[in-house]
Amino acid sequence: MSWDLFLLLLQASVTTIVVSVVSIVLGFLLATVVCAGTMSSNTLARGAGRLFVSFFRGTPLLVQLLLIYHLLPQIGLDVPSEVAAVAGMALCTAAYQAEILRGGFGAVPKGLMEAADMCGLGAFATFRRIRLPIAVRLTLPSLVSEIIMILKASSLVSVVGVIELTRMTQDLAASTFLPLPLYASAGVIYLAINAVIAGVGTVLERRVARGHA
Amino acid sequence: MTFDFALVLENVPNIARAFGVTLGVWAGAVVFGSIGGFAIAVARRWGPTPVGWLLRAFVEVIRGTPFLVQIFLLYYGGPFIGLSLDNIPAGLFGLSVYAAAYYSEIFRTGFEAIPKGHLEAADCAGFTRAQTLRRIVLPEMTMLVLPAMVNMTILMLKETAVLSIISVPELTLEVSAIGTAHYAFVESFTIVALLYWGLTDLCGRAGRLAEARFSRYRFSHS
Amino acid sequence: MTNAPAIRVQGLVKRFGKTEVLTGIDLEAARGEVTCLLGPSGSGKSTLLRCIAFLEEATDGFIEIDGAPLGFALGPDGDRMRLPPNDIRGVRSKIGMVFQQFNLWPHMTALGNVMEALVTARGMSKAEAEERARARLAEVGLAERATHYPSELSGGQQQRVAIARALALEPKIMLFDEPTSSLDPELTGEVLNVMRKLAEGGMTMVVVTHEIGFAASVGHKIVFLDQGKILVEGTPGEVFGKPRHPRIDQFLDTYLDRGAAGLL
Ligand SMILES: Nc1ncnc2c1ncn2[C@@H]1O[C@H](COP(=O)(O)OP(=O)(O)OP(=O)(O)O)[C@@H](O)[C@H]1O
Ligand SMILES: [Mg+2]
Repeated sequence: MSWDLFLLLLQASVTTIVVSVVSIVLGFLLATVVCAGTMSSNTLARGAGRLFVSFFRGTPLLVQLLLIYHLLPQIGLDVPSEVAAVAGMALCTAAYQAEILRGGFGAVPKGLMEAADMCGLGAFATFRRIRLPIAVRLTLPSLVSEIIMILKASSLVSVVGVIELTRMTQDLAASTFLPLPLYASAGVIYLAINAVIAGVGTVLERRVARGHA
Repeated sequence: MTFDFALVLENVPNIARAFGVTLGVWAGAVVFGSIGGFAIAVARRWGPTPVGWLLRAFVEVIRGTPFLVQIFLLYYGGPFIGLSLDNIPAGLFGLSVYAAAYYSEIFRTGFEAIPKGHLEAADCAGFTRAQTLRRIVLPEMTMLVLPAMVNMTILMLKETAVLSIISVPELTLEVSAIGTAHYAFVESFTIVALLYWGLTDLCGRAGRLAEARFSRYRFSHS
Repeated sequence: MTNAPAIRVQGLVKRFGKTEVLTGIDLEAARGEVTCLLGPSGSGKSTLLRCIAFLEEATDGFIEIDGAPLGFALGPDGDRMRLPPNDIRGVRSKIGMVFQQFNLWPHMTALGNVMEALVTARGMSKAEAEERARARLAEVGLAERATHYPSELSGGQQQRVAIARALALEPKIMLFDEPTSSLDPELTGEVLNVMRKLAEGGMTMVVVTHEIGFAASVGHKIVFLDQGKILVEGTPGEVFGKPRHPRIDQFLDTYLDRGAAGLL
């Protein structure tokens, strides 16, 4: 296998990374809304949040991607396949991240909020200064795992025509008849990206670990 | 936009057959995967050190790369090293290997979570290694790993959809074929999604029931 | 106003669903008075303290702090009515509370814990808040530990930081819910000493504790709670001296440690 082929794979991994990062970030924003819904005292909001989480965690991402890819044009949204792909991945990861966040908020000891209340912090300051930072620290490891999951899951957007790492490998394998070295290289690239994410995650966790009970 | 679910309903026999393939591949992968995973976990804990390293590398590679890449490597790369598999066997084999790596991690944490004292007690009672495994480790681990096992098993069901990409005639592939034939993609994928959703939901409920039943064996100490 | 008691509790009832946990409590604490709440587990001590802190809303009855109604007051038509949030906040700011589990915020240093409310809730400048926070930490003997995180402090040190955090807000009343119950025996002394100093300084305190020795030597008043009612109330001499209520005898048998026996 030549260097040129490997460089093509590296180029395609940029698409993989961009698609993943955009999905993770959009998914996180959506997850905060969904999480607020599932934790809300409003029955309707809670029901909607739970239904969202249940559906997107209960069906294969591949099916979600195909559904959204075909649904968007039908409702008059003729968007590029990259957008459909990101939309599908963001919705899916939002469901997982919402559950992670809910777990994190639930795990903040009640006494810490009561102490804030007794110190006169008020609802908003208690959330911003106490509950949110502690919940984020508690969920950091799970959020890092979710990022790695999404990076791997991004390989599925190849089926809706996004030329990312897996799709590029597939195309090159078909034209060069070198599937073994190509897929192995793709695997190594995925492993390398994941190692970087896990490394950054460990550093972050260590940095916040000092402030832990 | 119009929804014409009738088109899909005409194909109920096809869908039923495809559903059977999905269930078969899933069940096979869960059974082989958990047996393989258990073997890996045992070998990593009690086997010779170099074997432990190799297995650890294997597990890390499987868990660190997309299943789609693995299945492509097996299906398209396999013939180059004399491993020509049809799509269903390839799918079953690939998914089982994938499952084994993930299940092995569950069993490994399960082994680690068993209090040392319980094993020492078995040692003192004169149990052999095999007896300890069967009488102490297995029952205790079942309760410890059950929630994670249920989760992983549901995950494997969703992963079977990926096999449509190497043309395993399972649910996702067959229903999208109907979609293509009748140009009714949205309807067909909605049906597939609902079928998967129903099945994963059912599994989740069954898992919670099983956990409730097993929880009376939980350790009495905290 | 000036001769109103620091705390007045009248006819306090608290129900959780159907279970009545407090069944009509009447209690008064003068300024500078140290009240020790004793009683068996589940008798409602924490619930009473939490009602006074307004962490729980009483089902019925009234609480006054320094003559000002807390949470509820008698309306013009004779109904019990809820007061506006601003009033509640104002009255509550006179109350400091120390918890059994310390409840320090784990992501902030000792100094950060003490400064937080001064800056966020009281709008103090950082420099001013830090100066006051360091002074309070010094008073509890932790000047050197200001930049430590809670995870780097012993239980006794954490509890002293928690006391400093409450004191920094200059409360009129301090509530303590079993402040030494999650400490190793060798660490309870340092916390009790801080509390003793605070009492000597004239702080009005309500202390839930199983430290009979502390209650007998520092408490001005002992209140013995049983099944949501005040069973006995009086000076340590009256409550612990002979003749004793049989329930108190029984209670002392359970909780009295050898060290404290000499104090009675
Ligand atoms: N949030 C709640 N919901 C329902 N019941 C409660 C709640 N909080 C307390 N209780 C009940 O009220 C009763 C009194 O509880 P409380 O915590 O006030 O007792 P305590 O005297 O502080 O006991 P301990 O010495 O164990 O701390 C108990 O029976 C308890 O189960
Ligand atoms: Mg209590």
